[in-house]
Amino acid sequence: MKAHRRERGRDATARGATYIFRLFVAGNESNSSQAKGNLARLCEEHLNGHFEIETVNVLRDAATAYKNNVLLTPTLILIKPPPKVTVVGNLSDNRQVLAALGLTGNGR
Amino acid sequence: MSQRKRLVHRPKIRMKEAQALVHALKTHQVDAILGERHIMVVRLKQAEENLKKSRDQVRALATSLQSIRENERTVIARDIHDELGQKLTSLELGLSWLAQVTPKQRPVQEKIGSLSALVTTLIQSVQRISDALRPGVLEELGLVKTLKSEARAFKEHTGIPCLFETNMGKAKFDRPGSVAIFRIAQEALTNIARHADASRAMIALTTRNNDLILTVNDNGKGIAKKRVLSAHSLGIIGMRERALALDGLLSLRGSTGKGTTLTVRIPLSRVLIGRDSVS
Repeated sequence: MKAHRRERGRDATARGATYIFRLFVAGNESNSSQAKGNLARLCEEHLNGHFEIETVNVLRDAATAYKNNVLLTPTLILIKPPPKVTVVGNLSDNRQVLAALGLTGNGR
Repeated sequence: MSQRKRLVHRPKIRMKEAQALVHALKTHQVDAILGERHIMVVRLKQAEENLKKSRDQVRALATSLQSIRENERTVIARDIHDELGQKLTSLELGLSWLAQVTPKQRPVQEKIGSLSALVTTLIQSVQRISDALRPGVLEELGLVKTLKSEARAFKEHTGIPCLFETNMGKAKFDRPGSVAIFRIAQEALTNIARHADASRAMIALTTRNNDLILTVNDNGKGIAKKRVLSAHSLGIIGMRERALALDGLLSLRGSTGKGTTLTVRIPLSRVLIGRDSVS
């Protein structure tokens, strides 16, 4: 099942689908800033411009965080393409983040 | 059962997500925790860095205090030795001259005899105090032989046999390290003499896994945990500070019938200059 999901993710990148991310941060706190930087770099390297990042500052917009069941920041949610994936932390472990998003071995 | 089930299912997170949350918390990758009504901003990484900074400052302060204390002791020891020691020697020589020039005056001779004995005792006391303040033998003989001599002196002063064991051979220690270890052993022996009610004691200086280990134990009445942790146990606090200043750790265990064991573990790299042989 897991392998199947990841396969779908890989297919999506191959077809050039746009990846839509929602990144929940706490203002400019250290880990949040790192997460923003790491996500931007990762998208540039692996998604060749086919991505959108919506950043939600939970200190200003807590309602969206609650709606998305976010308990900690930074939290990254891959909205599209499905399946929905949630990654918690500052996204510094590139390999694990790519694996979680199903992007391993898909540098464009 | 139904209530329990409801509680278990209340958080809307799956096991895998919970593990990710715990991992993020453990690795300090979290900035804020969202509660039902409040958002708590956490700065674990910063807090840890601040704590480390504070610990380093305390350690530096402890090192500096020990150094100041040792320097003061050195100055006092030198003053006592030079001022009192030399004047007492002059007094002894003067009494000896008096004895020579008044050979036939028996009462004077008797008085001179008792005064000479008193001066000899005073000179020994000055020597002992001066040595205790600044153990010259530590520089002359090195730490291992000084500890051996301290064990012997302990037996002479207290009547309690004290063994000394080592596998450090002719290891050479730097001055701050050897002073600290010697002072810890000295304080531990003083505690045994004062409080332990022991019939035997032992000092061991050994190496294990790149650490220097000093052990001082006795077979006395032990020490209560409360006393080990007490803010009034200044001797123990002093020993701990000395160990801490060398990135070391000190532990004290005691129980009735088994006595007390003090163990100090210090990284060898912090105290060793060279090691010619290990026997």
